[in-house]
Amino acid sequence: MISRKLFERIKFLRLENVTKRYGENFAVRNLNLEIQGGEVLILIGKSGSGKTTALRMMNRLIEPDSGSISINGVDISKFDPILLRRNIGYVIQNIGLLPHLRVSGNIGLIPKLEGWKDERIREAVRDLLNFVSLPPQIFMDRYPHELSGGQQQRVGLARAMVMNPPLFLMDEPFGALDSLLRAQLQDEFYRIKRELGRTIVFVTHDINEAFRLGDRIAIIDNAEVVQVGTPQELIFSPATELVAEIVDSKRKYRHIDALKVKDLAQPLDKRYILDPCLSAASALDHMSAEGLEIALVFKSPGSAGRVGLSDVMKTASSGKSLEEALKPLPLFSPETSLLEALLRLKANGESMGLVLEDDKPEKVLFSDRILQNLV
Amino acid sequence: MKGDQLTTWSINEIFAEILRVWTTQLLTLRTLEHLYMFAVALFFSVLAGVLIGVLTYRNPRFADPIFNGLNIVETIPDVALLVLLLPVFGIGKGPTIVASILYSILPIARNTYTGLSNVPGQYLEIAEAMGLTRREILFEVRFPLSLPLIAGGIRIAVVFTMGVVTLGGLIAAGGLGAALQNGIQLYDMGTILVTGTWVGILAVFLDGAAGAIEHILQVRYGKWS
Repeated sequence: MISRKLFERIKFLRLENVTKRYGENFAVRNLNLEIQGGEVLILIGKSGSGKTTALRMMNRLIEPDSGSISINGVDISKFDPILLRRNIGYVIQNIGLLPHLRVSGNIGLIPKLEGWKDERIREAVRDLLNFVSLPPQIFMDRYPHELSGGQQQRVGLARAMVMNPPLFLMDEPFGALDSLLRAQLQDEFYRIKRELGRTIVFVTHDINEAFRLGDRIAIIDNAEVVQVGTPQELIFSPATELVAEIVDSKRKYRHIDALKVKDLAQPLDKRYILDPCLSAASALDHMSAEGLEIALVFKSPGSAGRVGLSDVMKTASSGKSLEEALKPLPLFSPETSLLEALLRLKANGESMGLVLEDDKPEKVLFSDRILQNLV
Repeated sequence: MKGDQLTTWSINEIFAEILRVWTTQLLTLRTLEHLYMFAVALFFSVLAGVLIGVLTYRNPRFADPIFNGLNIVETIPDVALLVLLLPVFGIGKGPTIVASILYSILPIARNTYTGLSNVPGQYLEIAEAMGLTRREILFEVRFPLSLPLIAGGIRIAVVFTMGVVTLGGLIAAGGLGAALQNGIQLYDMGTILVTGTWVGILAVFLDGAAGAIEHILQVRYGKWS
């Protein structure tokens, strides 16, 4: 089957009075939502609120009982579902890389079915792997079980991008990752979002992720949309008690003077710490062996830094020392006030800092965790 | 005494006995006949088994009646099955191969059906969401992920087929079963022992080969991370 492009770009995606019931229960009830082209719209709600059902109706994995869903004014029920899905990128929490296909086979599956030439498929796979910071010569021929969780997630993203879709649907794509890796991938997602300028509908239950990645956020509860707005609108004028509770607006600014770094710092997994004396090449070996995407280097109580896997790879291949790849990391004592910590993070443009206890790195502090607890 | 004689046989005498049986019973020819029947029977068992597996997967309402029917065939003792086929297929290689196939379809068909029907939902969801058609999901996702299980069914069929083909000696099918029959009828212990051991070695070897293939497929397609 050779598919065509249904739409070059999304002007708007509109859900009107969409309802889906299972027996007596409404999965989605009279849902009205307009997603504008180029924005990241977050659907957030508790599990069972209907957010995933709403997402899965947008590529016709689920058909609504009533109401209509349209893209650029055309009802999507008029499109062949197979054709529609090949025009929409889809990423899910457990990634779903097909275990019997190599990385290249997973990314190239739809192009192969579309009858692309092998040469063209390999070219596309190579470009996409570079784009998601996985060096193709290393990763192209690996099987999914030979990848770490973060690497699998990147391949899943590359696979969703292969047909160059103008619209992405993402269902908790970072849900299964540990918090350090999650922060790293969220940073990268943010970069990709800016570079691609695509329309993205993103389901999560983590308000902190929603604030970080979303242009607008739709709060869904009990099968209905409660409020849609920018993070600021939700925080400063929550429509209902529930919204206020979800965004935690009561707590805004309240405790910032009272809290210290130790109140919000999280324990640091020692696997993430690299010996500063390591060469870039042996750092690369260690990170590959442990499946790390990011590592922290602690030199002295006055100096520490962080490196991403792709930077270490670049440094190792150019034969320079690990030092060159380090980005300096702010250091805090457990007694530093949160306000000061936040200001220093902002001044450094960093999203995390290292917390020292007795001059040893024991914990990490994430800026979004501070915001989540304060805002 | 005969027993003492057995224990004092030298290696040379054992080899001489093997050589005697091998030449008088034409075991090279018999082995080729045997493997020919085995290969033909297994080929058609796999073909029919996988086809029935796919058909029952696509029409699950037929699954119960078909597997019940095959189960009944499976419970008929193999000697009885050969006899039941006599009026239709006569004697010789034909009915032996047909009986082997009837026995071997069930494990292959059942494993194919089970494999295709039980692929983990997350792979099916992502395949559907990527825009694969139903047929593409069957061939690109369900089938490869079922290969280890299908290979397991074929391995069982290998053992069944070996057994029935050997039994074919009773109804003039030739093969190593014929040599065994000769040995039994002449009460020639050497022929019985040498041929029996040789059939055993072949069976163990073929089962081992099937097992190795199953293992390779398991590693290649069975790692559901």
